[in-house]
Amino acid sequence: MLYSTFYLGETQMGLPIPSILEIGRGFDFHPVRGAPEVIDGLINLRGKVVTIINTGLAFETQKVLASDESRVYILKNNAELREVADADFDIETSPDNIGIHVDRIADVISVEKEELQPVPANINHPFYKHVVRRGNEFIIILEPQKILNLNENQELLS
Amino acid sequence: MSDTKDIKFNIYNPVITYEHRAAFDLIVSHLQEIFPICNQGKCKALEVSDDPQKQKQINDLMEKVEFFSNSLITITKVFFDQLYRAKQTSSQSISQSTAMIKIDMIERNLLERTCDVRWWALEKAFWECITLADQNQDQLTKIIKPTRKAPAKQSGKSSKAESDLKNAIELACTRLEDIRNSYTLYRDLVIATIDGTVVANSNAERRDSILGINVSNEEWFQKALQTKDGTEYFVQDISKSKLEDPDSLIYSTALRANGDEQGEVIGAMGVLFDFQGEGQIILNDYMPQDRSGSILDGWFSFFTNADGRVIGSSDEHFIPSGDLADLPRRHWRLTTPGEVLVSNAIVCGNRSLVVSHKSEGFDEYKGLGWTSHLVLPESAMFERSEENIDYGISPQELMNSKLIPDTNKQTYQEIQRNKGDIQLISINGIILATDLGKAGTSFIPIFDQITTTGNSTTGKMEELLSEMSADMLQQNLKALENFSKQAIDLIDRNLFERAADVRWWSTDHAFWEALQNNTEENFEEASKRLGIINASYTMYRDLVIADSNGRIVANSKSENRDKLKRMNVSEQSWFRQGMQISRSVQYGVQDVCNSDLENEETSLIYCGGILENGEREGKVLGVLGILFDWENLVCPILEGCLPRIKNEVVEGGAAFYMNDDKEIIATTDAENFPIGQEVNIPAENMNLEAGESASGIFTDKGRKFIIGSSKTQGYREYKGLGWTAHVVRPID
Repeated sequence: MLYSTFYLGETQMGLPIPSILEIGRGFDFHPVRGAPEVIDGLINLRGKVVTIINTGLAFETQKVLASDESRVYILKNNAELREVADADFDIETSPDNIGIHVDRIADVISVEKEELQPVPANINHPFYKHVVRRGNEFIIILEPQKILNLNENQELLS
Repeated sequence: MSDTKDIKFNIYNPVITYEHRAAFDLIVSHLQEIFPICNQGKCKALEVSDDPQKQKQINDLMEKVEFFSNSLITITKVFFDQLYRAKQTSSQSISQSTAMIKIDMIERNLLERTCDVRWWALEKAFWECITLADQNQDQLTKIIKPTRKAPAKQSGKSSKAESDLKNAIELACTRLEDIRNSYTLYRDLVIATIDGTVVANSNAERRDSILGINVSNEEWFQKALQTKDGTEYFVQDISKSKLEDPDSLIYSTALRANGDEQGEVIGAMGVLFDFQGEGQIILNDYMPQDRSGSILDGWFSFFTNADGRVIGSSDEHFIPSGDLADLPRRHWRLTTPGEVLVSNAIVCGNRSLVVSHKSEGFDEYKGLGWTSHLVLPESAMFERSEENIDYGISPQELMNSKLIPDTNKQTYQEIQRNKGDIQLISINGIILATDLGKAGTSFIPIFDQITTTGNSTTGKMEELLSEMSADMLQQNLKALENFSKQAIDLIDRNLFERAADVRWWSTDHAFWEALQNNTEENFEEASKRLGIINASYTMYRDLVIADSNGRIVANSKSENRDKLKRMNVSEQSWFRQGMQISRSVQYGVQDVCNSDLENEETSLIYCGGILENGEREGKVLGVLGILFDWENLVCPILEGCLPRIKNEVVEGGAAFYMNDDKEIIATTDAENFPIGQEVNIPAENMNLEAGESASGIFTDKGRKFIIGSSKTQGYREYKGLGWTAHVVRPID
């Protein structure tokens, strides 16, 4: 499967391509009064209202700031995922389209199933699903469903 | 978005190097390859999906790729233009500085000559000689005219008048020789009676042919007689004179009765400056040389006079002195002092950059309307630097530094943005293709290709930007080296003059007479003479005479006299050095330090031994100390050597001198590079050999600086004090 990779600080992470609706930049975030800080705001994507999560805050690292290099991944909702032709994967996202704001994007990589390794226990995190090794680098493959369903991660909303 | 309509350096411009043209071709051909790929993508969209929305999405993506590829082609053109403009601007700025340095160097020198001639004309031996010659015309004719030889020793049959005149002429010749021995910049010095007969000269080898010559029809002589008082002088621009074969630059003033500045005019003094020798040194300096030390082909440096005629040239074969300069006329018709003209022209068969800087004189010396010209091959502006030195600074850091013009940085950002856009389109394309399932897989190589092309072309442009920033670094380092060389050259030349002054003044009759016959009246007379000198020369705080016990017995400034008379300087370095002197060609110098002679202010003191009977060699009676007005004179020199952009000093730019102990002794930035402090500059800049220059990068108080440094090599008889000049500018 193909994965689109991106950076959060110095950490390279990846999301499965089929889970992505599109990647964009330069969106205007509309702030939402009373929303938790991890929410950057809402955007209007061709008539759809999409909530944008600041990945930096979601990972409790440094807030992702809008820049020339920062990008927004808009993820498919579950209904859109089911429309992907010849689907041969087991991915869930969320009932709504949700976006994640990242520092910068990197390459698209093709990963075979056997390359997906379990996340070592000492770096375990609810959003991590697998680890892929590329040369001396490790790429963390994320679990979209976990990031997108923030209600299940109440501490981030507090 | 970049615009191509104002492009000056398009890729067909002959100055574009082969390597850059090849790089341009590579970038553009790669970008052109994207268009058929996009067409292929559009066709495939119709093949693999019946969904009009998907087809449109793919078509939109392909069109966006085409748009950004087109945009990158435009940026590539603009980018090359900016690359060459940046190099041109930087080269022009350095060339302007170089042309200015050269004319400034010569004008500063000539200012000294105007001081010299006015002071020398007051010498007793000269006005006494002229007075006697005037009173004894017949004897003068007998002594000089028949043989034009140096006056022979007195024979028994000579009348007293004749013998007195012979002695006076002999003494005048000796004193003129003493001047020439102290100030080695002159080919000859002459004095002439009021009717224009030369009666004494300094150059013994040429004396036979000089004495007795009548110069009454020469302008320097006529204008000297017209000077109103001892403060006036005349300078005759480079021209023919009976006094020598080469063209002469002659400074002159009147000799006056009893050496009184307001006295009646009795004759004239003319000093023949070695302009050709001095000019050659300056013209050959700051010019790039090949390994054999010859100036590179196509590089010329020369001066023209107000009529546009060449008066000195670094290459007499191609640009001979005496000819009208082979330049567009506007270059030698500059009218405003300080005016600068830069243009491109064919000079000696080469397409060249021509920079001309009209002199504005220096200080009170207004100059003769000369212009300094620097010519360099146009291609030299755009050559790649051959040096590839690792200064420990990353290309990214350099690219973001202040050395790179903002327009280039903006282009860099535009390239980065386009690269990002193409990358984004490609990934979105891959996402769309994935949505199409197996049918979409055929799109993936297309988007991969687009990503690869985008990366390789922008990567190539980043390489070129990195090359440009390295070149800009080299150029700026070279410019700082030149500024530091200028700073050390100017101070060396200035201090050479001080060394010459002190040697000559030490021989003044009033000084040795006062020390031999130490009456209050004689000391008063010595102080008066010191006062006259100090009024003629603007660069001294005070001039003092100490007797052999170290007691100050005379000085030039009456307001300091009471304090100084109570002072004993026997333990001071300048005095001890002076007491070791036994020949009038020797001098001593006390390096910059705080002196109680000047209320603990920073002083630089030169000293000369006052010898018995004013002999060239003999017993020392006391010491003449001259207190150079260090801060007031050194700071403007350093300020004149600061790095500038469009005549404005670069923010944070500084210049300073360090002594042999690596301590700062003068600075333009007392806050960041204060006097007395050591600075953590690179070892290569710190440990230079005499006459060497170096450049580098260093960090001070968290700021990154580039630095150019030059160590003294002295100048003529002045050997230097081991100082180093450093010029710095921050780059972050």
